[in-house]
This record gives sequence, structure tokens and C-alpha cells, in this order.
Amino acid sequence: MMRFIFFFAILLFTSKVIAQPSCYAFMHYGDTLKYKACIKAEEIDAYYQFSKKFQEILDASLSIDSTFAHAYREKSVAYLKSGDFLIWKKLIDKAVRFNPKDNLGYRGWCRYQFFRDYKGAIEDIEELDSLISYDLGYSANGDYHLNIAKALCYKAIGEKGEAIKIIEKTLGNKDYSVGIYDYLHLGVLYLETRNYEKAKQALEQQMIQNDIAENQFYLALVFKHQRKEIPYIEHLNNAKELYVKGQKMFDPYTNPMDKIYLDDIETELIKAIN
Amino acid sequence: MGNRKNMKRRIGIILAVLFIGCHTKKVESVEQKYLRWVGDIEQDIAIDRKDFKLCNGDEKVIQYFNTAQGFRYKGEKTKLFKTFQKNFIATHEESQNGLIRIRFIVNCKGETGRFRILESDFNYAKFHFKDNIKNQLLEITKKLDGWELLKIKNQVNDYYQYLIFKIEKGQLIEILP
Repeated sequence: MMRFIFFFAILLFTSKVIAQPSCYAFMHYGDTLKYKACIKAEEIDAYYQFSKKFQEILDASLSIDSTFAHAYREKSVAYLKSGDFLIWKKLIDKAVRFNPKDNLGYRGWCRYQFFRDYKGAIEDIEELDSLISYDLGYSANGDYHLNIAKALCYKAIGEKGEAIKIIEKTLGNKDYSVGIYDYLHLGVLYLETRNYEKAKQALEQQMIQNDIAENQFYLALVFKHQRKEIPYIEHLNNAKELYVKGQKMFDPYTNPMDKIYLDDIETELIKAIN
Repeated sequence: MGNRKNMKRRIGIILAVLFIGCHTKKVESVEQKYLRWVGDIEQDIAIDRKDFKLCNGDEKVIQYFNTAQGFRYKGEKTKLFKTFQKNFIATHEESQNGLIRIRFIVNCKGETGRFRILESDFNYAKFHFKDNIKNQLLEITKKLDGWELLKIKNQVNDYYQYLIFKIEKGQLIEILP
């Protein structure tokens, strides 16, 4: 676990997560300006994405070709992670303007993850869907397919039926690889819409896929509604045990939707015992 | 002849001053454009508490996520959110909608300082919230005392933290990250 944290910390300090486009592809298609801008942008690999040098290299890249979307997107990341929504949005909008297919899904995900801009995220993901005939792809952190992210946004604006429909459809696709929190979110949606049997099935499925404190906690709530006291308390205890061990929802930048905290479990345990 | 010489010298001095002036201005603008890291907050003696000290200097302040432990506050986000719920008085004004970010530094003792505010409407355009809303959020943020210490290899670091408040009709709807 410590090794994992150390590795992750190094990653957060040093890397740029966005894949650099192949510069030779620009050359191949005869866009020498973009090729040169791209070669220049490759120099950022040696620098931290918050650093002055990193930003200056990308400025130089953009001075070669001011339509090089990748450079705007790379520049935007430090502003995103420091919560500077004003500069981030200006930069990422340019990336989208010059290359919508590669950047709409990313912008949509960031709007959701960092700013809880649910309607904006839905617009971006749906616009991308209208532009392409291939799969939408995944969130920048890899935790969600963009269809699931879209469903979470629908839930957040109160359209829980639509959210359930999207997740069920996505999970029903035979080619789909299940995400680490998909069944958890589906289970919580069923719970919130009082469909307790389906909630139980989804949360038990989450337990098989990726057993974390959250699925145990929400499963406890299902049993609470079904007035089954023994499994209610049992799953709360399981939730606490997993939480303390660190088996819970996690993102280094923001707190994911449906995440629970130790206080939530302990408060519920007090209610269960009394 | 003497006048012409004087004139040439004057023009030379003027051009030199202009050149130096322009050059200095250019260097300054580059320096101002980027600091060490995006989002670095320099001390401003006009607004920052003088007794707030960094333990490792401005050059070593990290970001809250650099240790890969996520958002860290004693009692977690539940406690933080409850603190704002308890102390923030909503204004219920139709015109007050958007995001407010308060960014600051947590030093190696868990003390906070150098608070800065950024505001936008829900279209990411500049917006100025009413002072009553901003001041309340700022004062509550300044009083938060549960910030965890961030260690890397036994060194306790100073770090940048931010809170983003989502405001709808003068009410506090969500807190990020």
C-alpha cells in the first residue's frame, strides 16, 4: 500500500497524464507548422505541469501554431487543479475549439469532477456523442465511462430515472468493461428511488466487483428500509472495517459522488444500536 | 555645430532611456506572467497577517494533492461542510449565483494564511458576489482549524489548499474539492 501511495505521489508531482499526440502524424498529413509546435511541446516532459518552464514551453509551441489544441489543454491542467476556473475555462475552450473530438469529453469530465457543473458536463458529453461514431471513452482518471459520468450528472440535476436508464443501458452492452464504481452508483440510485430489491442486487454486484465501504454502507441502508436489523448492523460494521482499512472511494483531487465518511457510518451505527 | 552635437546627445540619451525603459518593462512583464508555479500566492503585506510564517519558504510550498492522500481535514469533509452549514447565513438573493474559490496556504503547523478570492458566474465569466456572501465565507474559512499536516519523507510541508463554494440564489449548495 505504501509503495502504491509513493508511486502515486511521484505521479502527481511529475507527470502529465494527457497523452502527447504523435508529432509525426502531423508531418504525415503535411501540417509542418503543427509538427513543429508539437515537437516543441514535447519538451514539457521534463517539467512539472505547474512550473513556469512548463507553461513557457507551451507558449513557445503556441507561438509556432496558435491552433495547436494539445498545448492549450496541457496549459489548462495546472489551472484546473488549483481551482482557477476562469483561466482554465479560457484555455480548455480553445482546445475544444481547435480539436472538439479529442477535447469535448475531457472538458465535460473536468466540469463535473472539479466544478460540479452538471449541465455543462452533460452538454459536452452529448455534443461529443453527436460528433463521433466510435466509443465516447473514459474519464481522465479512468474511473468512469463518460456515459456513466453523464448519468451521474443527470442524477445531480434531479433526473434519476434518466440516470438509471443510462447506467442500465451501458452495463447491458456486451462489449462494456464495468467501471470500479458503476454498480455502486446504480445501487444508490435504486435505493434513492425506493427500489430496494434492485438496490440490493446492484450493491451485491459491486461487492463482487470491488468491495468498498460505500457498497456495505448503502447495503446496510437497504436492509434498514426492509426492517432487517441484523444485516443492517452487520453491513454497517463491515463498512466501518473497510473504511478504516482504506478500502473506500478515493480520488486525489476531489471527493467522488456517493462517497461516505467515517462520521456517516458512526452516526448510522448509533441510530442502529438505539 | 555645438547645438547640433547637443541635440544628437539629447536624442541619444532619450533613445537610451526609452530602450532601457522598454527593456525593463518587458522583463517585468515576463516575470509577472509566471511565478515559480501556477497559482503561487506571494505575500502581500497590505492584506496578509504578518505573523503567518511558512516553515520551508515560498519555494517549497506544495499542492494539497501532491502527497496523493486527497483532501485532508480532521473529521473529513462532513465536519467541514457542517461548519459552513452552521455558520453561513444564506442571503436568498436571486442574483447571487456562481462559484467562489478561496485559496490559501496551510503551513507545517496547520495554520492558514495568504487567503485569495476568485469569483465567477456559472458560465465561468467574472462575477462579483455581494460582500456579505464573500466575507462570510472568508471569515469561516479563516477560522477552520482542522487542516491535516502533509508529510513527505518526514518533512512536514507547507501546502496550497482551496475551497470552491457553489452558490445558488445566495445559498451555499456545495463545497469542493
